[in-house]
Amino acid sequence: MDRSIPLLARRSVGGPASLVPAIVVLGLAWAGSTATGGEAVDYEAKIKPLLRDRCFACHGALKQQAGLRLDTVALMLEGGDSGPAVEPGESEFSPLIERVSSAEPSLRMPPEGEPLDDEQIALLRSWIDGGAAAPEGEEPEPDPRDHWAFRPPTRPPVPDAGLGWARDPIDAFLAAEHERLGLDRSPEAPPHVLLRRVYLDLIGLPPSREDLLAFLDDPSDAHYERIVDRLLADPRHGERWARHWMDVWRYSDWYGRRSVPDVLNSYAMIWRWRDWIVRSLNADAGYDHIVRMMLAADELAPDDPEQLVATGYLVRNFYRWNYNSWMKDSVEHTGKAFLGLTINCAHCHDHKYDPISHEDYFAFRAFFEPIEIRHDRVPGEPDPGPYPTYDYGKSYGPITSGMVRIFDKTLDAETFLYTRGESRNVVPGRPPIPPGPPRFLAGDEFAIEPVELPPESAYPGLKAFIRLEETEACESALAEARATLDASRERFESMGPEASDVDRERATIRLRVDEMKAAAALAALESLRARIAADDARFGRGGDDPDAAARLASAAEREAAAARARLELASAELADFEARHQAEPDADAVAKAEQRLSAARSALDAAEQATSEDSADYTPLSPSYPDRSTGRRSALAGWITRRGNPLTARVAVNHLWGWHFGEPLVATPHDLGRNGARPTHPELLDWLAVELMEPSSPGVPPWSMKHLHRRIVLSAAYRMASTSSESASANRSIDPENRLLWRFRPSRMEAEVVRDSLLAVGGVLDEAIGGPEIDQSEGLTTHRRSLYFAHHGEASMPFLELFDAPDPGECYRRTTSVVPQQSLALSNNPLAIEMARSITSSLSAELGATPDDGAFMTAAFERVLCRPPSREELAAGARFLARMTNILRGASIPEPDTRAREDFVHALLNHNDFVTIR
Amino acid sequence: MIARPLPPAGPPCGRVRRRTFLADIGFGITGLALGAMLHRDGVVRAAALDTGAAAPDPGPHFPPRAKNVIWIFLSGGVSHLETWDPKPALNRYAGKTYAETPFENPFENPLFRERSRAVVGADRTHAQIFPLQVGFRKRGECGVEISDWWPELASCADDIAFVRSMYTTDNDHAAEFQFHSGRHKLDPREPTIGSWIHYGLGSLNENLPQFVFLGKYKDTRVRENFDALYLGPEHDGIELSLDPGAPLPFGSRPDGMLAEEQRAQFEFIRDLNALSGVEYPDDEQLRARIKAYELAYRMQASVPEALDLGAESAETERLYGIDREETAIYGRRLLAARRLAERGVRFTLVYLSDYGEWDSHTQLRDLHARSCARVDRPIAGLLKDLKRRGMDQETVVVCCTEFGRTPGLEMRDTLANPTGRDHHPHAFTVWLAGAGVKKGVVHGKTDELGFHVVEHPHYVTDIHATLLHLLGLDPKRLDIPGRKRLEIDHGRPIAEILA
Repeated sequence: MDRSIPLLARRSVGGPASLVPAIVVLGLAWAGSTATGGEAVDYEAKIKPLLRDRCFACHGALKQQAGLRLDTVALMLEGGDSGPAVEPGESEFSPLIERVSSAEPSLRMPPEGEPLDDEQIALLRSWIDGGAAAPEGEEPEPDPRDHWAFRPPTRPPVPDAGLGWARDPIDAFLAAEHERLGLDRSPEAPPHVLLRRVYLDLIGLPPSREDLLAFLDDPSDAHYERIVDRLLADPRHGERWARHWMDVWRYSDWYGRRSVPDVLNSYAMIWRWRDWIVRSLNADAGYDHIVRMMLAADELAPDDPEQLVATGYLVRNFYRWNYNSWMKDSVEHTGKAFLGLTINCAHCHDHKYDPISHEDYFAFRAFFEPIEIRHDRVPGEPDPGPYPTYDYGKSYGPITSGMVRIFDKTLDAETFLYTRGESRNVVPGRPPIPPGPPRFLAGDEFAIEPVELPPESAYPGLKAFIRLEETEACESALAEARATLDASRERFESMGPEASDVDRERATIRLRVDEMKAAAALAALESLRARIAADDARFGRGGDDPDAAARLASAAEREAAAARARLELASAELADFEARHQAEPDADAVAKAEQRLSAARSALDAAEQATSEDSADYTPLSPSYPDRSTGRRSALAGWITRRGNPLTARVAVNHLWGWHFGEPLVATPHDLGRNGARPTHPELLDWLAVELMEPSSPGVPPWSMKHLHRRIVLSAAYRMASTSSESASANRSIDPENRLLWRFRPSRMEAEVVRDSLLAVGGVLDEAIGGPEIDQSEGLTTHRRSLYFAHHGEASMPFLELFDAPDPGECYRRTTSVVPQQSLALSNNPLAIEMARSITSSLSAELGATPDDGAFMTAAFERVLCRPPSREELAAGARFLARMTNILRGASIPEPDTRAREDFVHALLNHNDFVTIR
Repeated sequence: MIARPLPPAGPPCGRVRRRTFLADIGFGITGLALGAMLHRDGVVRAAALDTGAAAPDPGPHFPPRAKNVIWIFLSGGVSHLETWDPKPALNRYAGKTYAETPFENPFENPLFRERSRAVVGADRTHAQIFPLQVGFRKRGECGVEISDWWPELASCADDIAFVRSMYTTDNDHAAEFQFHSGRHKLDPREPTIGSWIHYGLGSLNENLPQFVFLGKYKDTRVRENFDALYLGPEHDGIELSLDPGAPLPFGSRPDGMLAEEQRAQFEFIRDLNALSGVEYPDDEQLRARIKAYELAYRMQASVPEALDLGAESAETERLYGIDREETAIYGRRLLAARRLAERGVRFTLVYLSDYGEWDSHTQLRDLHARSCARVDRPIAGLLKDLKRRGMDQETVVVCCTEFGRTPGLEMRDTLANPTGRDHHPHAFTVWLAGAGVKKGVVHGKTDELGFHVVEHPHYVTDIHATLLHLLGLDPKRLDIPGRKRLEIDHGRPIAEILA
């Protein structure tokens, strides 16, 4: 059969080129149409989902390539630049079929991914042949700009639901769904469950036995509320919640080649940013403030070192070997972390789901284009020295003092668009792209104003503490040199007549050395004072003529250099003298000493000559940086945190909710765009977002996170039990995954909480706050909170790793696993055994005299699991103690009763309830 | 095909009745011995219920040809040209451009665009043909051509099925993860082949982890190669170490603790958790943790035994090259893999190189020669050892890499001394040997320059499908409701190499 005939006779809308491939595939198409027979194809169930998956990105509401949309049948019939896409009843004549089944890859649609398979093409064909019926009232895809998350949230009315249950508007939103679907809510959790839950949630540590007993004694609402307020004010709250945000903000200590050491990624001293997060959360600094500081503290708080470390957020993306990678990570994660937008998807081409163009990507990158890292001095710490520019092949160890921060170095930095995600493919002739947010979100009032920086920021040498510390260092050196000289002089003058000529000569030279040292110290101090005076003159802070002051400083500095050279000559003379007067003559030593002497003489000649030079050059007290910043990042930060930004608050409250309830309202917290998940409770999300920005309670500042924490943990929803009664079986068929929160979600503690809780119940947790990261190898021996251990992309602490420690590269949501090694990590871990011992002995002490097994076991349950044991548990425990004592006695283990109790406590530390938040 | 038994009838909606819960975890007041408490069927049933009523019962869908898999991965991209697919034309046209050969310019072949999808960076282009860096000759009775860097493995030629027509679509090293999951870096991730097999087949030996990773790496992305993702952590590969002091992290009983003491303690932990299970019958994590403690307790004893290479004869050690410095590490890894297979481990991923070791952008001659010398004897030793033990009747060995290397010389501006080949997703070779696999065959073909596949192209998931087929699994029947897998994720078994 010659199947090409009908094609050649077709009412072609495409050019002749498209005919050839269509012929080739005809065989396939025929086979397909017979395969599906004459059954009517369900457009909504089979055709539309296929087109949505594979075609809408380019032929839908987002884009209309070739003027064509395929999101309704009507639009298909209307067609695009080259006519209708579908000819009802005639699949052979439908360009849609021709293009999807083309054997010619350059013509075949979709252009990316796998071609449609035979079955899919047959379905399309069969649907067209069946008349391409349109469902009634088919609506085109809505305008992407109308996507729910791209419209600023407004405070929705609180539903009239949850009567008798709801304590907060939050509850009413949940109750409305429960009531709509007929879900029975779980009752309130027992007091001990709620207490442990809220402790672990708010401070990341379990309550003590005393806390438990006190709450069981008075489990009233008022008492619970007091506990909540206390926990929110507890400094450990900041530590707990910092760890959450550090996942999202990608906290990482430096890495690259730690064994060398060579800092390639992130940077040393970045722990100051971590401590800033803890401080900011404890102080309930607004979320908006936090975002602004992390993006642009150098522009917004340039003279506040406490805030400047916040730019660690950008330092973290640093990659010494590839500036583009630094930029790329900054774009991607600023988009995901603050905006819930996958701007990174527009790196190579226009976004497939959201209206973010390829150009928007580069406009966003341009915000960061001027940045560079710098080291700043910190009071009381040595000067870390200037940031070194990279020299190929060299390695750079970590700085160990001062701080690291961002500044705008290249004020005229330009950003050029490149294609295919490859920085070498800059499009020639295309002008640079100015900074700006994605245009569909930008609004009208976006403007960038350069920022004038205070002189101390451009030239830190002006800072009082630097001057003071430098001066003090010179003064104390001088005092020390003078004291040495006095002592030296005294020794010299008290030298008796019995002294030999050699001794006398040695003492003379030594005295000269000490005189020169004192002179050099004095000259150094004078030089420093002259340099400070010159700095003052230069910055208009004194009456002096800047040029004259600079000349004085320059002369004083050269004087100081000459004094140092004199000291060196005297020292060289002393060394020469000693070399010549050794007990055993050493020709080598003498030769070396002569060499040094001769070098010192010529150095002194040069230095003295230099003192008569005419110069205004002097060494500054610090490096200098631009006295302006582009203002790009503060404009970005302002745009992100303004009320009208539809995404920022939603992203923030979504994370907050997820950390309290185990799952966020939008399952994809990094993507609130059209390809992200739908919120389970859209109104609740918006209500929370507005509540964050515009709190309804009087006296609460905007963007207060503690306010939301408080509301959430005081809600009825938060207090629900995580168990479900037998009668809740209807719930399980309606909502088996508990997406609508008809009960609380039990969860496994995060890795850090497991470790910290182990230390806490053992009574050995070291609650020191902040400081440099601790080596991972100390994880089981140093009892600081897990937050303070090195966390980076190169390796992780094995214990934390086993319990699903976050990936420092990207962790917008934690995952939980249950693997046998976790069991081993608790049962075979010397730390767990140490804790079991310390708990056993402290409980014995607490309970007085010789507590019986029952009292001991009850107290141990309360201490470790924060609950009383059940009758069955006590019975099982008693059997265990008896059995264990026998075993131990049989093996002649000393004090078998105590050891059995330690084993009992160790078993509780291995209990599933220990690592579970119910 | 034998129909599989229906999954055991569960209560509605995945809800587990208390009585069932207790039966499943083997808890009873009679105090059964630990090992017997959690008998295999019970574990399996609990697992099936964990994922909902519809989850399949583990076990083959049809009679299997193989029981387990040793999967050897060579990271960085082995040059197919200098190993299993030598191309004399490269020597004939050495130094010439593609245009100067009588062949079609491979860059203009539509396959070039179709099969290369860069994550970062541009397409790999190279103009000048780079000659073979090693000689080759026909080996075995089958006469397959193998390069001279494989003197030992060459003697196994008649036992191997070479697939010379592999391609992948990522031209950078995420192709490694793609080889294990079937998914390009830019697409949503999928579970890895080892996890699917573990999920589909369950356990042959409940005392050992069933999906094992043997290897060392610094780049933690390597873990993507044994990630179970949505299949759940119990189907993740478990990393074992050949360091006898610590075969597993925290794998040994603490100093001073008696064996009997720990045993009693584990039983008590189990009892406590079981009581908790009555309180929280819906808690899947709890059920998983009870299983984890069981497995942990047994693994603690079984893993060191399985990995105790001291139990092997000196002759066997020599066979694997353990007596020689350059082959000792990899020889040990493969010998351990054999011991694990012998004990019923379903899938052992042996990472037989450093991460990216084979990535010879320059100095290919030296680097490939060195890497071949490290693995030639160990791999040949494994094949010979399996054969003499009859294990080749139940174990299938796969040797793979993420992509091949370019026929042309890599000419990046940053390369001072171009002497290597770039990444080449368009063609490479994978070979299989052992249970159910034809012996001494070459399947598929690349063009004269080794650039494109011209006969029987196979995407990486065809290797997955082949293994699943040998193990008696139909990939489509492993699907998880609500998790859409694509046709290409399933692949097609390579029928031509099946015995």
